[in-house]
Formats: sequence, structure tokens, C-alpha cells
Amino acid sequence: MATYDLEEQEQLAEIKAWWKQYGGLITNLLTAAALVILAWQGWNWYQRNQAAQAGVVFNALQQAVQVGDSQRVKAASGELLEKFGGTAYAPLGALSAAKAMVEAGDAKTAKLQLIWVAENGKDELRDLGRLRAASLLSDEKEFEQALKQLEGESTPGFAARFAELRGDILLAQGKKGEAETAYQKAMSALSSASENNGAQKVEQGWQLQSNAVQRELLQQKIDSLGESKQ
Amino acid sequence: MFDSVRNNKKIVQIFLGLITLPFAFWGVDSYVRNAGVGDDIAKVGGTKISVQQFEQALRERQDQMRQTYGASFKPEMMNVPEVRLGILNSMIDQRLFMLEAEKKKLYVQDGALRDVISKIPALQEDGKFSMERYESALRSQGMSQPQFEAKLRQDLMLQQLIGAVADSAFVSTSQSEAMLRLQAEERQFGEFRVSAAQFADKVSIEQAAVQKFYDDNKSKFEVPEQVKAEFAVLSLDALLKQATVSEAELKSWYESHKDKFAQPEERRASHILILANGESDKAKAKEKAESLLKQVQAAPAKFAELARQSSQDPGSAQKGGDLGFFGRGMMVKPFEDTVFAQKEGDISGVVESEFGYHIIKLTGIKAAKVRPMEDVRSEIEAELKRQTATRKFAEAAEAFSNMVYEQSESLQPAADQFKLTLQKSGWIQKDSAPQAMAALGPLANEKVLSALFSQDALKDKRNTEAVEIAPNTLLAARVVEHVPASVKPFETVKADVEKLLRAQEAAALAKKAGEESLAELKQGKDALSWSPIKVASRLKGGQLPPPVMRSIFKADTQKLPAYVGAEQGGDYVLYKIVKVSQPEKIDEAARKQMQAEYGAIVAKEDLSAYLSGLRARYQVEINASMLGAEAKDQQ
Repeated sequence: MATYDLEEQEQLAEIKAWWKQYGGLITNLLTAAALVILAWQGWNWYQRNQAAQAGVVFNALQQAVQVGDSQRVKAASGELLEKFGGTAYAPLGALSAAKAMVEAGDAKTAKLQLIWVAENGKDELRDLGRLRAASLLSDEKEFEQALKQLEGESTPGFAARFAELRGDILLAQGKKGEAETAYQKAMSALSSASENNGAQKVEQGWQLQSNAVQRELLQQKIDSLGESKQ
Repeated sequence: MFDSVRNNKKIVQIFLGLITLPFAFWGVDSYVRNAGVGDDIAKVGGTKISVQQFEQALRERQDQMRQTYGASFKPEMMNVPEVRLGILNSMIDQRLFMLEAEKKKLYVQDGALRDVISKIPALQEDGKFSMERYESALRSQGMSQPQFEAKLRQDLMLQQLIGAVADSAFVSTSQSEAMLRLQAEERQFGEFRVSAAQFADKVSIEQAAVQKFYDDNKSKFEVPEQVKAEFAVLSLDALLKQATVSEAELKSWYESHKDKFAQPEERRASHILILANGESDKAKAKEKAESLLKQVQAAPAKFAELARQSSQDPGSAQKGGDLGFFGRGMMVKPFEDTVFAQKEGDISGVVESEFGYHIIKLTGIKAAKVRPMEDVRSEIEAELKRQTATRKFAEAAEAFSNMVYEQSESLQPAADQFKLTLQKSGWIQKDSAPQAMAALGPLANEKVLSALFSQDALKDKRNTEAVEIAPNTLLAARVVEHVPASVKPFETVKADVEKLLRAQEAAALAKKAGEESLAELKQGKDALSWSPIKVASRLKGGQLPPPVMRSIFKADTQKLPAYVGAEQGGDYVLYKIVKVSQPEKIDEAARKQMQAEYGAIVAKEDLSAYLSGLRARYQVEINASMLGAEAKDQQ
């Protein structure tokens, strides 16, 4: 064994004493930290694994959509929602499947898929679900339910889309006045969309250019309600 | 120093612990990633888009545009702030999708990746995936396999997200029906034009009003700073015209490069070919060839006829076996050896080659020769002139640049020295529109223009520096006349202003008269002679300017006829809407088409709504000063 000089021995003793006092605490803390990290990694691993499996099903769904095989679309989408409802692939798959169902003439299944997204999806995907579910509900003349989907806050980008669809539904109900209010709201949301991005004039010009068609159609809808209200 | 460490042991330990923790769990790059943020063009959710990445994207877009627009593409098009912002925005969108896809833990399986790669048509051979093609394609892109696959995987991952958001958009049956009704609605109307011309005489414009308009709108009469320039262009082409070559030079070059003008011997032959595929076939083919040879030898004159009948070389059989002239090295070895050993008119025996068995007749010889000097004279002259001019240009370019700089009060010495003509420009403005730029000829160069409008050139009347306006082309210019920015004097624009005011006033009177008639019409007093009935519909569109369409379709048609008025090119036009008709039955095919078209529009709307959601969720910062930097320099 090496020999220590006095000062070093002193230090060693000090460290030992310190360890005696705090060692247990530190070990506990480290163990706890390690456990938390392990759990976190495990949770991540589990999610990744789930996502990977869901990805395979999603892939199959996409292929079925491409070839227009609605039976397989339905099956794949069902599997996604049932087994992998917690992954992001579930709402993505449901949205794709809904479009395929609409095209195949099965609006009912499409509606169910979209309502699932509206109830279980997150953020913008949820809003897409609400929006499209509402449009199918309005096809079924379930106007109240359709409007209900559009109630409540939407994520910032969807304000105009929500208001315009509300206008479409109200108009279908014959409520011209309310429809016009909704359309006007959509129009002002479109025109101010750029301000929400906190950008300057150039950005605004760019934005207005990019949603020109949307505003044109909206203006036509407003115009068609006539000058009677002015 | 270590004492302080010892005395504050606990603090130091905790500190050390804290800084090592991130290393242990998140790696070194958690520190590196946030370094040096200042000079990036944008930040998206904690990641950066660097100026280099942006410029790379700009270049790629530029190349695309150049391919699309060809010669009409001008690089200045890219310097519009809106265009640059558009490109940056699409990069940001891409990044947002990336971040969101990662957050959602989207992942493309190896199997799916393989599947996609194997289906890329360019990588297939005979309808099957070819590893060789894949590798050579990667090499030509300068990418390694893992690099390419990682990039493709990323693209596919984004596609999962973008596709699921945008491709899944649709409009419902009732929405498409409503839109179709809106678009197909027809309104029948007569029109009555209250023309402004009839009021022109009644308008009187006071001098004071003209003066007032001029005073209030001085900016409209501003004339920007202009110069007339004188310039000289030194170019390789010009030197080329001046270059001379002496007879002796021509001759000595010809002598020393004779090999260049040598034409090797060429021979012309016909053949009869009997194909032999594999060993088993060989004996039979040889036998056949030999029997043919006997026929040929019996009647040499019938060679061509026999070739036509029996040769199995489809290319030459039609032509009686003729292969035309060829030199050495163009035919297979045994064939060539035979041909170049024959005399004209000779018919060979049976010659074996890798194709099979040939019987060959030599039909012509062009002896080797050297093209005479007279034939190649102009070629040599051009070549020598080019060499001389290129050498001279390198020297001249430097001398020219120095000369215009050192004798900065005139271009004449440089012009004399290099035998250049001084050219004169018309009036030039500094900020010319792209069309006007084209008229400037060689002066249409940012660098030249900014030099011409610099203090040196304007005030001190110095030559500009020599600017390389094109490869091997230098230009120097100087200002010969200069007009500072000014406002056109009142006297010169008075007449125009008066005309303008007169037209405005007449239009106002027309509008007033039109509006009075409109009010009367609305009260049921219709004494106007309307035009024949016309039909407007949004679907057909086109016949009327958009603001007029809007007023016609905005009109309240509860009660018919309905009347509206609209300004149109100075006149005021009244419209009497007599009938509104919507399609009674919606045609299912038309509705389906509308559903698809409207669906495509809605898909874009959904995508951009989705993106603005992402933008709000991940912080996006654009460093506008970097974006505009270049654009500002140009002004």
C-alpha cells in the first residue's frame, strides 16, 4: 500500500466521514434517478415499438387506399384504432381511411372514423377530424350535431376553415343571416392570418397571395347571399 | 486555486455532477447544438436553418426556374423579397413536418424502404430491380448507400404525414352541390352604357385645379437621375477580328501538324455472312459457307445477288452485301486482316470471325493521303488567330484595366491603344425595370450601373473600372451627360394633367348620371333602351371584368327585374337583370367533377391550416434582416 502524507490522510478521513454521513442519501438519490431514467427509456422504447408495429399496418392501409381496396382499408384502419390507438398512426390512418370510404360511397364508416379522430386525436389532427366529421354530418342533415363538432376552440390555423364550414351548414339550414355572419368571420380570419404569425408586410403579401383562391370562393358565397342585408 | 476548490468542495461537486449529467444522458451535442445562433436565417422549434442551407435551396430553385423558363429567366427574379421569403417559408414548412413527424415517432420500416427502392423504374433492368444500376445511380449522385437510404427514409416519413393530412381532404356531397349551384347560376341581363365621352364638353377645368393637382402629386412627375455614358468594350472577339497570321506562320504550323491532316487508308467491301451460334452450329455453317463460296467462284459477277439471297447480315444483305468504306480498327480482326490484304476485285475464301463465316469481296480502295494545305488553310488560320487573340487578350485585359484607371479622365487613349470604337448610350436610369435593362445592351450589368452612378463617375467624371461583363469581355464606361433627379416642370405636364382631370371629371359626371338613372329604375321608371339580353355565369366567366361580375351576382334578385350599376373603364354601365336561373337538376357527373376540383382546393386549405398550427406550436423566428440583405444591395 502506498503511504500518504499527513495532509492526505487527513483528507481521506474527511472523505470517509463525509461519505458516512451522506453516502446513503446519495446512493438513494442515484438509484432513484437511475430508476426514473430507466422507466423513461422503457416508456420511450415501448412507444417506439408500438409506433413501429403501427407503421407496418399504416403502410398496408396506404397501399390499400392506393389500389382502392375498401375492404382492406377498413380492416387495416380497424386494427390501427383498436390495437394502436395510442400511436400517431391511428389518427393519420383514420383520416386516410375516411377519404377512401367517402370515395367508395360508404359515408357512414367514414363518419365514424372521423368522429374517432375528433374525440381521440391531438392538436391539428383533431381539428381536421372535427371539420370533416361535421361536413359528413351535414350531408346527413344532422345539422345540430355537425355544428356541435365545430363548437369550442380550434387550433389557430383552423379558425377560417371552421367558420366557413359553419356558414355552409347554417346556409343549408336556411339561416342566411347567421351564415353570412359566419362567412364574414371566416373572411376576417383569413385576412388577419398573417398578423398572427407576427410578420411584416412582405410576409403578409405572400400570405394573401397564397390564400387568394380561398378568399375568392368565400367572397362568392358572401355575395350570393345578396345585398338584402346591407 | 486548488485551495478554493478544496474549500468549496461541495459546491464544486454538485457543479461537476450537474455538468456531467447531460453528457451521460444526452451526449455532447446538447451543448454544441445551441452554439452560435446569431447568423442563421431562421429558427424553427429550436433547430436552425443556416444561411448556407438557404442559399443552397435558392440555387436549386434557380436551376429549376432556369429549366422551366429557359432564356427568359433572369437571376434578378430571385431577388424579389417575396420570392425569397416564399422559398424560406417552404423550407420552414419542411422542417416543421420533420419535427412533427419525429415527435409523433413516425418511422419507415426497412421492408417498406426496400419496397420503394426496388420499385424505382430507373433502377430496374428487364422489369426487375438491379443492384448494379442502384450502385451506379448512387455513384453518379455522389451519395453512399446509407446516405441515400437515410434521405429517402426521411422523405417517406414526411410523406406519411403530409399525405395523411392533404390527400385525405374531401368536400361532402352537399358542399359540392352548393358550390356547383353557385358556380353554374346564370343571370340574364341587358346593359345600358352611360358613356363619359358625352360629358367631356360640359367639363371645365380651372387652371387652379390643374396647379393644385400638380402640387399635390409632385411625386408622380418625378424624373429619376439619368446619365448618358460613353463606353468601350474589349473582348476576345474584337481581338480575333484584328488578329493577322502570316503565310510563313501558316506554313510552318501546317508542316509541324501534318499528322492532324492525314487521312488513313479506307477500303470498301461487300460480304456474305453465315451466322454460327455455338460449337454445334459451326460445322453446319461452315459447310454452308463453303458451298456458297463455290457458287461465288463459279459466277463472281453474281456476288451481290447471292449476298441478297443468302447473307445473314441483315444490315448489308439488302445492299448486296455492301458495307461501304471503313478504316482500320472498325471491323473484327480476321475480317480486317483479309480486307486490307486483298486487291480490288478479289474475292476471299471462307473467313471465320466471332460472328460466323464471311465471304468477302473488296470493291474499292481510298489510299491514305494528307489533306493539302489549301484545303485546310482556313481551319489553320482560324486556329492560329484564336491562339494569338487569346494570348493577346490576357495581356490586353490587364493593360486595358490599368489604362482606364490611370488615365481616368478619358477612354480615348485606351480605345486608340486597342483599336476599339467608343460607343454612346442613350439616357440610362439607375433602377431600370428588367425590360428596360434589355435595351441597355452591354451596359446592362449591375456592377457597371452602380459604378456609373457612383460619386467617382458622376461628380469627378472619372472612368469606371473595367468590369468583366461576360467571359473574356471587359467594359469600361464614363459619364458624358448627367441629369440629377428632378420634377418635370409644370408647363410641360400641364396639358396632360388637364386631360387627366377632364377624364376624371367626365367619369364622375357619368357616374352621377348613371346613379340617378339607377335610382329611377329602382322606382320602376324604365325608359332606357337596353342592349340585347346577355348571360353571365361564374362557371363560364370571362366576358365581364371581375368587379362587374361581382356587382351582377351580388344583386338582390328577390324581385325581378333588378338593377345594378358599375364603373367600367371611365363609363358607368347599368345592368338590368331579368332572369336568374339555377340548374334544375344537378348533373351527377358535373357534381363529381366539382367535388374533385373543390376537394383539391380544400386539400390545400387544410394543409396550410395544419401548417399554421405547427407554426404556432413550434416557435418560428425569421431573421428578416438576413433575408432582405441581398435584395437591398441591389437597389
